[in-house]
Order: sequence, then structure tokens, then C-alpha cells
Amino acid sequence: MLRWSALFLVVVICLFFGLAVGEEWINPFTVSDGLESTILWDLRFPRLLTAFAVGGLLALAGAWFQVLLGNPLAEPYVLGVAGSASAGAVTGLMMMPDSAWVMSLGAFIGAWIGIMFVMFFSHLGSNRMLLAGVVLAAFWSAVLALLLALLPEQGLFRAFSWMMGDLSHSDIPVTVLLIAWAIALVCGVMLSRALDMLLLGERHAEALGIDVKKLRQRLLLLASAVTALAVTAAGTIGFVGLVIPHLMRLLFGSLHRAVLPASAIGGGLLLVLADSAARTVIAPAELPVGILTAIIGVPVFLFLLLRRR
Amino acid sequence: MDLLKLSNVAVERADRKLLSDLSCSFKSGEVVVVLGPNGAGKSSLLLALAGLIPFSGEVILSGRDLNGYSRHELSREVAWQGELPPTEFGLTVKQRLNLAIEDESEAIEHVAKSMDIQTLLQRPLGELSSGERQRTELAALMLRDAPIWLLDEPTAHLDLKHQIQCIQMMKKQCENGRAIITVLHDIQQAMAVADHLILIDGKGGTESGEVKQIFTSERLSRLYDAPVVAQGAVLVPNYGDSKYEITR
Repeated sequence: MLRWSALFLVVVICLFFGLAVGEEWINPFTVSDGLESTILWDLRFPRLLTAFAVGGLLALAGAWFQVLLGNPLAEPYVLGVAGSASAGAVTGLMMMPDSAWVMSLGAFIGAWIGIMFVMFFSHLGSNRMLLAGVVLAAFWSAVLALLLALLPEQGLFRAFSWMMGDLSHSDIPVTVLLIAWAIALVCGVMLSRALDMLLLGERHAEALGIDVKKLRQRLLLLASAVTALAVTAAGTIGFVGLVIPHLMRLLFGSLHRAVLPASAIGGGLLLVLADSAARTVIAPAELPVGILTAIIGVPVFLFLLLRRR
Repeated sequence: MDLLKLSNVAVERADRKLLSDLSCSFKSGEVVVVLGPNGAGKSSLLLALAGLIPFSGEVILSGRDLNGYSRHELSREVAWQGELPPTEFGLTVKQRLNLAIEDESEAIEHVAKSMDIQTLLQRPLGELSSGERQRTELAALMLRDAPIWLLDEPTAHLDLKHQIQCIQMMKKQCENGRAIITVLHDIQQAMAVADHLILIDGKGGTESGEVKQIFTSERLSRLYDAPVVAQGAVLVPNYGDSKYEITR
């Protein structure tokens, strides 16, 4: 209970902090004029909520992919989904350079194609599965390099900023993202006991009465839809789905009725903090948020690899 | 009435016929020991009876065709203990036991005590030895209310004390009316618990019957293609002469 209270306290502090920081510090409780109010509530607040929802969705997807593949080091981006989504987005940009909507659609389709590739290899077992993911990631980055070489110069900046994670102009309304966050969380919690049983391996789960095939189908659908939505909304932001479920398991134990809500909140927090830093560090310019999550995520990933020996 | 009746059961895995034409029946309170060489299909037989892999032939469980049971229904009738579960996700012993039964702290304490793991309840499975993990699996099994237990080498990884404890626990469970079908490799353990035997030779051949009828040194020697000899009232594998004299 103490840990949950602490988590909620941190959420409140981070949301306040996320609203206040930026090119200029604005205290939400003492907004002085109309311009500050516009910056705070029309610009920063929707972006804050977008960051929170996308972070939460990514963390949920990470937790689900880890159970699906039976490997706590799995997450959609480590498995090459970032590359396929980027290739899709750049393809969309090439086809209709002036339409953000087509780029998002390309990212959505690309993410799904990447996930389908991952699942095609999922029967290989977790270690070879990860290896397949690494090779797939290399393949997608080659495709991406080819597409970028063919992309007209004026599209390059937009492509790079999207590929590094971009919360500044999401094409998906924030209400849709928040509703998706809530639905994903409820679905996840409803499946939590079955997911716990899946941690024992497929045979043990089946022997305990779980229809594993059906559960895997549902889980794959959920994880894929959530990943595709998050990628479409904010570009490729890696490592949130890897790091957050791990940290939450350390803090709240391994059972999914705790891990999933904690990850949905923790993922949101991480992205709110990363985005706040991205808006502030070199203000008035912005850093792509994916750079910051990678700077945090890569050392944590390597630490976890070493710890697993 | 028979609790479990097998008629012409055959199991194939990866296009290899493991066992065929197995017909036998068992009642509540009986222990059936499955013996045979490595790779013969003993574990596959248990997996088939747990509904975890396909088989041909007919299995009647409590008067109903096994294939007619839903996964949930079958889990109430049959409890399976097989390979040790993975440890990567950090489940603790107590969390593992909680997956076998919901909100039964008293029952968990009780089985943990009987399997000597009461001091390990808060430890992650990954920090335990294979023997401790095996005892955790046996404790999880004891929490299940199913009338049939399918045990795949329940004494594997266990030290001598816990092997004896496990065999005694199986006997006690049968006295309470549970039916147990178990794969064992130790002939003396088999002699201690078995009412019936199923012998699987790995070449598709099977034999089943009461212990008295088929537990002979010739049959076991043939089954394992290794010398098994009678020593007093028991059958033992012949490892050759002891290197040292035993001081009594």
C-alpha cells in the first residue's frame, strides 16, 4: 500500500512538473495571463497527457510481449518493430509528403508487419526468438536506409524527428489515447491470473485449465494493437516497454494484477519526465524524446542482461 | 466403476510411434507406475492423459470421453506434475503455490510444511536448488483437488529423505482415494508404491498388469536391456560388485 501511495504521489508531482517546465517556467497555480494559460492548457497539457498515455501503452505492450515470448528481455522495439514502423512511416512520407495522416497510416501498417514477423518466429524458443529479432531489426534498418536515401531532402527532417520519437504533433487525439490506455489496462487486469499461470510455461498453464492458444491470440492482438497505436501517435520510442515492467516487478512483485497497473502508470511517468526534459534541456529547441529513453534504457537493458547470468 | 479406462491408446510424436495399443483400467486409490527406458514415451503417455498432447484410441475418464472435456473441466479432474517451470520472471514460492489454489493461505502453509519449504515461501524460484523447486511443485500439486494425479518422475532432484517423504505422501494420497499414475526410474520406489505397472519398451510395445504378475527380473531386464536381479524380496539393478566392503 505504501508503494502504491508513493507511486501516486510521484505521478502528481511529475504531472505538475511536466506542466510547469518548458522554455519558460509557469506555475499552474499562479497563471498570470491569457498567453500563459494558452501555453499551459492548450499546448503543454494535451502533450503531457499524450506522453502519459503513450508511455503507459508502451509499458503494457512490453509486459505482454515478455509473457507472450516467455522472455523478460523482450519488447516490441528490441524485436525490430521500431524499424518496420519507421520503414512504413517513411514509405507514407514518400508517397504523400504533405500528409501527416498517410505517414501515420504507414507507421501503423509497418508496425503490424513487424509484429507479424516477430510472431512468425515465436515458436523458436525465447533465445533464438531474440536473435531473430536482432536480425530482423538489422533487416528493417537496411530497408529504412534505402528508403531514406530515396527520400527527397525536404522530407528528411520530418522523417528523422519521427524516428526519434515525436510527441509534438500526434495525429491521434489525446482522448482516444487515454481511452485506449484505460481499455488496455482493464483488459490486462482481467487476464492477469491467466498471465501469471503462463509464467509457469504453456504446459503448466494448460494443466491449470487455461486455454493457452486462445489466451495467446488475445494477448497478441492486444499487444499488437497497443504497440501500433503508440507508434502511430508518437513515433518510435524504445526501451519504455523493456525497462518499466522490469522495474515494476522489482517494486511490486511478479503478479500481473500489480505489474500491469504499475507499468501503465510507470510507463506514463517515464515518458512524461523524458518529454519534460526533452522540451527543456536545449530550449527553445527540443530534443527528440526517443533519444532520452534510449539513453536511460540501453544501460538498464545491459544491466539486466548481466544480472540474468 | 473404473475411474480411468484406456482402450487401444497410441501416442506419436514427431512422426515417431512411441506407444501403441495400450489398454488398461484403474480405480480410485490405486497407484500405477510407468516404467521404461529413456525416450520410450512414458512422459508422453502422461501428457496425453492430461490432455496436453493428442493421442489416438479412447480414454474414458469418470465415464466420459477425455476428448469431450473442456480444458477447465479437465484441470478439475487431472493434476499434472512435469518439468520444472521457468524462473525468469521472479515468481516466489508462495506466488507459485497461489497459482494452484486461490486465497488459501492456511492450505499453502500446511503443504509447505509437509514438503519442508515453509522457510522458502518468500524466496524467488530462481534462487532455489532443483530439489527445492521439485518440492515446490509437489506442494503445488498437493493443493489441487483433482482425483487423478499424473506425476512425471516426482522423486527426481530430491535427496534421500525427501524421496522417502514423497513416496510416503503418494501412498497416503491413495489411501484417501486418489488415483496416481507416475513415471519412476527407481525400481525399489516402484515396488514400494505400485498396484499396477505399465511397461513401455520404446519400440511401440506396451504391457500392463498387476505388480504380482509382471514385476519379474526377466521382464525388467528385457525392458531396460540391462541386468536386473532379485536380491531377497526385492529387485535391484546389477551394478556389479561393490568396490569396498560395507561396515555394518
